[in-house]
Amino acid sequence: MKYFFLTAVVAVFFSSCKRDFEPPVPVNDWSLFLSAPATSLPSFTRNKIEGIYTVRDGSILFGNQAAMKWSYTKTGADTVFQLSLFSPLDAIYIILEGRRLNNDILLNGYWRRNVNVETGKVRLTITAANGATALLNNVTADSIILSGVYGNTDEIPEVALSLKYLRPLRNNTGFEILAHRGGGRNADLLPASENSLEMIRLAAGFGATGVEIDVHQTRDGELILYHDATLNERLIVKNGMVGPIENYSYAQLDALVQLKRGGKIPTLRQALQTILFQTPLRFVWLDTKLTGSLENLRALQKEFIQIANANGRQLQIFIGVPTKEVLNQFTQLPAYRNIPSLSELDVPTTESINANIWAPTWTQGLQTEEVNRMQAQGRSVITWTLDGPDRIDKFLNEGSFNGILSNQPSAVAYYFYAKQ
Amino acid sequence: MQNNKRFLLGMVLALSAITAHSQDDQFTSQPTRHKEYALVVYMGGGVGYYLAAGGTPNYLQPNISKYSPAYSLRVMWHPDHLIKLGVETGSITFLNYTAKDASGQTAKIRTTAVPVLIEWTMALTKRFNLFAGSGVYFLKTDLDYAGKSVSKKLSIGWMAAASFIQPVSKNVGLGTELKWMDAAESTDGSISLQLQLVWKFLRW
Repeated sequence: MKYFFLTAVVAVFFSSCKRDFEPPVPVNDWSLFLSAPATSLPSFTRNKIEGIYTVRDGSILFGNQAAMKWSYTKTGADTVFQLSLFSPLDAIYIILEGRRLNNDILLNGYWRRNVNVETGKVRLTITAANGATALLNNVTADSIILSGVYGNTDEIPEVALSLKYLRPLRNNTGFEILAHRGGGRNADLLPASENSLEMIRLAAGFGATGVEIDVHQTRDGELILYHDATLNERLIVKNGMVGPIENYSYAQLDALVQLKRGGKIPTLRQALQTILFQTPLRFVWLDTKLTGSLENLRALQKEFIQIANANGRQLQIFIGVPTKEVLNQFTQLPAYRNIPSLSELDVPTTESINANIWAPTWTQGLQTEEVNRMQAQGRSVITWTLDGPDRIDKFLNEGSFNGILSNQPSAVAYYFYAKQ
Repeated sequence: MQNNKRFLLGMVLALSAITAHSQDDQFTSQPTRHKEYALVVYMGGGVGYYLAAGGTPNYLQPNISKYSPAYSLRVMWHPDHLIKLGVETGSITFLNYTAKDASGQTAKIRTTAVPVLIEWTMALTKRFNLFAGSGVYFLKTDLDYAGKSVSKKLSIGWMAAASFIQPVSKNVGLGTELKWMDAAESTDGSISLQLQLVWKFLRW
């Protein structure tokens, strides 16, 4: 008995250890790509590369088909363009940068399987004979073939990967591919913290057309991005600060809190500025986690809609109404029926506040009758939080939603753009 | 630091002195007679040493105070068999540090906890006991930076301890306890060495 007791205590002690996975991103070190003669690609070349491709070598990892689409991030005067490949398998994606070297096009980056931590380098080339000459001269190419290699982790890539252009992407003027928590959760092991500015900058590269972000308010009234009700080590680096985030001032959080995967807790103002001026994102879902008045939130929404309009930028910002408590605060706002809003509540409530968007959870099914009713009233319907390639494919094929919120926007992007 | 060492030395000397004058057949944690039950209170105080994994962000240049006072109050039911059951509370300081922000302004941050734990104990010998328990910790952060903030959070947690209790009289013993306390929410842990007064205050 004594020994059993001792053994149990020792076992509990050692089993208390937990493993913390790190989000991996391989080092970009392709010397040819980084060489001085390599220059940026013209925009007409980039546009012509987008499309659906047949995977000729590498289909074991990437599937038989892939969608390729460009996005960008602006930092000051610099704009970095990224070509993303979206695969039907396990939410696998590739993120590449492109350069011209003589008459070839080089594409350099990394792949990542989003359901685990597998990753590796990718190096692709479009040779002059395989379409680069036409692409670089703004002429429609007879065929485009991307050929090269991929690898695992930081190893030198050696496994063959080649793709052949099949057809253009499906046109997307109205379907919203929304990335959860600014781009993905901490649990998704992405190279940035959820609800951070860096994550927002990554979202379009994951295939998103918009983001859902979580809004709290500090003790001194600053609106910030943070998901949980309390400071905890799922979201921040341990620092001795516990309890509700509303107990702290923004100055305290800004100076003393570091997010789990890097960065600081951003203000909503910083986040909207980032979305507006640094990304191509066009849709913002403000997931309201405030317990009090929504006046500050409404004022900021109004301000940024005006800034977007003044800059000729298409950007929609919706105040989310996820609970009865938030609904009560929302209906206190002047002319609330005219405020761009998104309701997670039932159909009658959505109608009563004249929400632009109804957002039911995917667990309620396709709800075709209700979706049609909402759409007939001029509202959009976006379901959340839908993950898993098979489920995403089913909702896209059998449902009639106007958008999907997902932790795997790259999978939504593949199934949307590949659909004929 | 020097004061803490003196305090520990004093505790050990005091225990040794009392041990020399105590008698063997008095207070014991082991069962005495069939169908004899007792309630025993353990009151302890000593020094805690912060020993949790992880820590504060490096950019804060943290200066962590590892030592802090630790107190315990425990009531155990001693039945007529080896395993005993009880509850424990007390006070412990976990992460306690000063830091500097980018402009050199100082921040003081301290996380304290009041545990409320269900515990089991077993006497391995007449004097030597093991304790283990789990329950909740009432965590509290006191922050002094750009104004003061107090914030509280409930956490699950556990403890494990080993004690040596020397009898002083039939119902009283004096012990030394080495104890590990751990709160899951803040992944904080502290090991403490406490001097303990044990009193069998009710017997039936």
